[in-house]
Amino acid sequence: MNDTKTKRIGKLISIQDSLVKARFYDDVIMGETAEIAVDGKLLQAEVLQISADPKNADAGIVEMQVFEDLTGAQIGDAVEFSGTPLSVLLGPGLLTSIWDGLQNALYPLGKQDPYLKPGMKAPALDEEQLWDFTPFVKPGDKVVGGDAIGSVPEGRFEHKILVPFNFGKCQVKQIIEKSSVNITQIVATVIDEHQKSHDLKLVFRQAVKTPIPFKERAIPKKTISTGVRVIDLLAPVSYGGTVGNPGPFGAGKTVLQHALCKYALADIIIMAACGERAGEAVEVFKDFAELDDPSTGESLMNRMCIFGNTSSMPVAAREASVFIALTVGEYYRYLGFNVILLADSTSRWAQALRERSGRQGDIPGPEAFPMDIPDQIKGMYQRAGADSGSGGSLTFIGTVSPAGGNFQEPVTQATMDSTGGFWGLSQDRADAKKYPAIDPLSYTTSVYDSFISYADREKMLQTLHESNAIDQTISTIGLKKVPTDKYVVFQKGLTIDFCVLQQNAFHDLDACTRPERLKIINTAVQNLIDTPINFNAEGKDDEQLKEMIKTKFDELRQWWKDWNSTAKNEEQLAALPAKIEEFVLQEEYAL
Amino acid sequence: MIRKEINRISEVGKALISVEGNPGVALNHVVELLNAQNNQSLSFAKAINITEDSTRFQVFNGTQGLNTKTKIRMHEVPLTAGFSYNMLGRSFDGVGNVSDGGPEVIFEKQLSTRLDTLNPTVRLVPKQPLWTGIPMIDVFNTLVKSQKIPIFAGPTEPYNRLLSQIAKGAQADVIIFAGIGLKFDEYHYFKDELSKSGNMDKTIMFTHLAGDSQIKGLMLPDVALSVAREFSDQGKDVLVLLTDMTNWSNILRNVANYQDMIPSLQGYPGSLYSELAKRYEVAADIEGAGSITIIGATTLESLEDPVPDNTGYITEGQFFLENGKLKLARSLSRLKQQVNGNTRNDHRSIMTAMASLLADAEKAYEAAEVGAANDPFSQKLLRYRTDFINNIEEPFGEPIQLEDAIDMCWDVLRRHFNPTETGLSKKLIDQYWEKN
Repeated sequence: MNDTKTKRIGKLISIQDSLVKARFYDDVIMGETAEIAVDGKLLQAEVLQISADPKNADAGIVEMQVFEDLTGAQIGDAVEFSGTPLSVLLGPGLLTSIWDGLQNALYPLGKQDPYLKPGMKAPALDEEQLWDFTPFVKPGDKVVGGDAIGSVPEGRFEHKILVPFNFGKCQVKQIIEKSSVNITQIVATVIDEHQKSHDLKLVFRQAVKTPIPFKERAIPKKTISTGVRVIDLLAPVSYGGTVGNPGPFGAGKTVLQHALCKYALADIIIMAACGERAGEAVEVFKDFAELDDPSTGESLMNRMCIFGNTSSMPVAAREASVFIALTVGEYYRYLGFNVILLADSTSRWAQALRERSGRQGDIPGPEAFPMDIPDQIKGMYQRAGADSGSGGSLTFIGTVSPAGGNFQEPVTQATMDSTGGFWGLSQDRADAKKYPAIDPLSYTTSVYDSFISYADREKMLQTLHESNAIDQTISTIGLKKVPTDKYVVFQKGLTIDFCVLQQNAFHDLDACTRPERLKIINTAVQNLIDTPINFNAEGKDDEQLKEMIKTKFDELRQWWKDWNSTAKNEEQLAALPAKIEEFVLQEEYAL
Repeated sequence: MIRKEINRISEVGKALISVEGNPGVALNHVVELLNAQNNQSLSFAKAINITEDSTRFQVFNGTQGLNTKTKIRMHEVPLTAGFSYNMLGRSFDGVGNVSDGGPEVIFEKQLSTRLDTLNPTVRLVPKQPLWTGIPMIDVFNTLVKSQKIPIFAGPTEPYNRLLSQIAKGAQADVIIFAGIGLKFDEYHYFKDELSKSGNMDKTIMFTHLAGDSQIKGLMLPDVALSVAREFSDQGKDVLVLLTDMTNWSNILRNVANYQDMIPSLQGYPGSLYSELAKRYEVAADIEGAGSITIIGATTLESLEDPVPDNTGYITEGQFFLENGKLKLARSLSRLKQQVNGNTRNDHRSIMTAMASLLADAEKAYEAAEVGAANDPFSQKLLRYRTDFINNIEEPFGEPIQLEDAIDMCWDVLRRHFNPTETGLSKKLIDQYWEKN
C-alpha cells in the first residue's frame, strides 16, 4: 500500500549486539519494520524508539532491534523502512508448517543450508500448492474486514478466506469461479469507500501486536479433556481459558507439554517453542508426525503448527514469535476452531524483553525485568478467549521457568495474576519421580469446571491435604503416636496420589485418561474417601496393626496401578469400583 | 593487501580499549594491535560496540602494556578458527594458537566462529544410547548421543575425574577438550588421563588457564565448538568436554561489567541464558552428518545460582555430584526415554520404583534425625538408603554392563523389601524377584 511513496531510508550510527541506532531525515513510524543492508544481506529490524538528533536539527534518531546476527555491520550501512509493523501471513497451509520465530519456513530454509545464516529467507507458506477455492460472494456484494468471500479445504477443515481485518466497507468487483488456485493468485477484487481497488488472495498479512477481534467474546465454559488426570480432575482448563505452568528445570514441563500436544482434545494445537531447546521442538515435528490425532486418527501434525524460535536463535525474534503464534491462534479462532496455544516458555520471552531493555539503558524493575512486565504478560494472556460468535476458542497455556525454581519472581507472579488456571510443578514431587509433578496442594488452582462435581473435587483435595498433614506429623513425632484412623486417612491420600494423580506419560494406556474412565475412577475414589474402613485389629498391637494396614494398601495400590495400565473393556473397567467396594468393606467380609 | 592502520586509542581499560571516532571497522571484526615503534604484534582484538563517535574492542591478550600510541591494524574479517586433522593430539589456546610448545599447525581451512544456529529440520531425534559403565548413568539417567548435559558439582568435588571417566569409555571419533579457567594441575590431569586411555591421538585440547587473558577464555568455547562442528559436518561423532562453564560465565560477567551493562541477577548480564544456550545448542545429531555430544562441568555453591539455574533450563538434564557420589535425586537425563524403552523390560520400572523408594527413604532419614523414624518400614528404608548410596550412586570403579547393573538393583531391593512394598508390577516381580 506504500508503493506510491518514495523510499524512506536511514544510516546506521551505532551498533551494539542486536540493538542499532540510525539517523533519518524524513519520517519514521513507531513499531514499523525495516531492513538493514549488511555485507550484501538484508537483515530484519523493528523500530523501538524515535528521538531527536542532538547533532543535527534536521534529522532524527531511530533505535531498532535487529532479528538477525549483525556481524559485519558498519557505521553508515543503509536502513530502509517498510511502513508496516511486524506482521504474519495468514491463510491456508498454516497447519503442518514449521517456522522460525519470524515465520520463515524451516524446511525450505534447510534446503538452502543446514545452518541458519543472517539474511536467509523463505516464504512463510507454500506458494506452489493449489487449493480448491469455492466463492461465497458475487460481484456487487458488500463485504467488510473479517467477512468470508469463499473457502478452501485445508485437511479436514473448511478454511474460510477472509477480507483482511483492517479493511472497511467494500464492494466486490470481481471474484473467480470455483477453481484451484495458489496463494500468489488473485481470487477477488474489492473497491473500498474511496473507490480504491484492492486485490484479494487466499492469504493476507496481519499486524501481530494488534489482536484480531472476537465476533462475540464469551466466558470459557466447556472443559477440555487433556487426558492428564490431575489436570482434568483438580485443575481443569476450558476452551478459551488461560493457564500458567511454572516449574523449576527437571520438574517435567516438557513432558507435560508433549502430553498435551498428543492428547488434549482440540481442533488445532500451535506450539511456540520460544527460547527453548531445539531438540524438543524437533521431537514434536519429527516423532509426533508419526502419532495419531486422538480425535481423528490422522497424523498429529495435521492439527499442528510450530514456531521454533529456539534458545540459540536471535533473541529479538523471541519476542516476536509469541505474538506471531498468538495471531495465528486468533485467526483460527475467528474461523471457528478450538485452538490450544502452548508457549514454552514465557519466561524466555520476558527475558528477551529484559535483555533489550537493559541494552536500551532503561531503569530496571525487579530482577532487572522491565518495569511494565506484569502489564505486558497480562496483555498477552488477555488475547486468549472463547468466541461464541465464531464458535471457536483460543486456549493459552504458557510455561514459566522461574529462576532458581522460586515462584516469587516477577514473571511467575504476574502470570498467576493473569491466568485462570495454574499448574505449579514441584521439585519435591519431581525428585520423588511422582509425575506429572503438578502439586495439587500448592500453586495449583483453576477457575474452570472439572469433569467431576465441585463437591467431589473439594473432597478429594481435602483428603490429600489431610493425608499430607498426617505425613508431616509422622515425620516429626513418629508413626507410633499417630492414631490408627488417621493412619488410614494417610494411606487413602497416598493411594489417590499414587494411583490417580501420578500417571505414566510413556505408557500407551496410562498416558491418557478420557472423561468416561475418569468418572469410573472418581466413583472409586469417592467410595474410598467416604467409607471408614474397619481393619481387623484382633490379636495385634498398634505396630502390627499399622503394618497390616500398610500391607493391605500396598497390595491395593499395586493392583490399581496394574489396572491403570491394563483395563480396557467395560468389564475390566468395572473391576476398579468393585475392588474398592470389596476393599473398604473388608472387615465385614472377614467376619 | 595493504591493511588500514590507525593510532588513536582513547581509552584503555580492563580487557577493553576504545578509539575515538569510527575507523571503519565492522561489528565482530578482528584488528591487530602493534607496537608503534617496532611494529611488533601485541595482540588481536574484536570490535564489539561501534558508534559514529567511538569504537570499543575486546583485547585477546589483555590490555597490560598497551598505550594510546599503540597501532591498530584492520583485518576486515570476523574471528576464524583454523581447522586441520593435524590438530589431533595437540593443544591450543582460546583463539586457536598452538599452546603446547610444539610446531605450528598448517591449517587446511579457516572456520567461522559465529556458531550459526543449526536448522532444527536437519536435526535427528536422538535415539542412540551412549553407555558409560556407570550404573547411576546407564540405568537411571541413560546418556544419548548428541545430548548436552553438565555435571553440577561443588568446587571441591571430583567432577573432572568423573568427566574423564566418562570420556574414557565414550564411543567417539573425536574428543574436543575445552577447558576454561583451569588450574595447571587440572590441565595435566586430563592430558595424562587421555594419554593413559590411548585417546590422546583423537583428542584436541583447547585450554585456558586461570590467570590467562579473560578474552581468550571468553572466546574459547566458540573456537572449540567451531572445530567440533567441522568434524561432525564431515561425518564424525564428536564428544566435547566443556569445563568449567561457571568460570566462563564469570568471565562473561566481568566483561559485561567492564562494558557498563546493566546486570540482572548477581551481576550477570541479562543475556547469560542466551549466551550459554548458543554454546550448548551446538550439540546435535545431524541428518547426513555426524554428531556432537557435549558434557560440561558447572561448579556451584547453590543450585539457585544463576549459572547452574540457567544451565539447567538449557541442557538436556544434569548429573549431580555430591560427596563423591552421583546423586539420583537431582540428576536427570532428559533424553533417556528415547533409549531406555528398548533395553530390558524391567529397566524403566526398576528405575521408577527405586527412585520412589529413595524419596521415601530421604523422608525417613529426615524423620530419623528427630527420632521419628522408629517404625519397621522406616528402618527398612534407612537401610535401603545406605545401601543405595554405597552401591548404586558410586560413579568410580570398574565399568558395569547395563544388565548386570539392573540385576544389582534387584539385589538391593531384595535385600530390604517385600515384593509388594516396591510398587513394581506383579508381572515383573514374578519374572525377576526369585533369583535364578
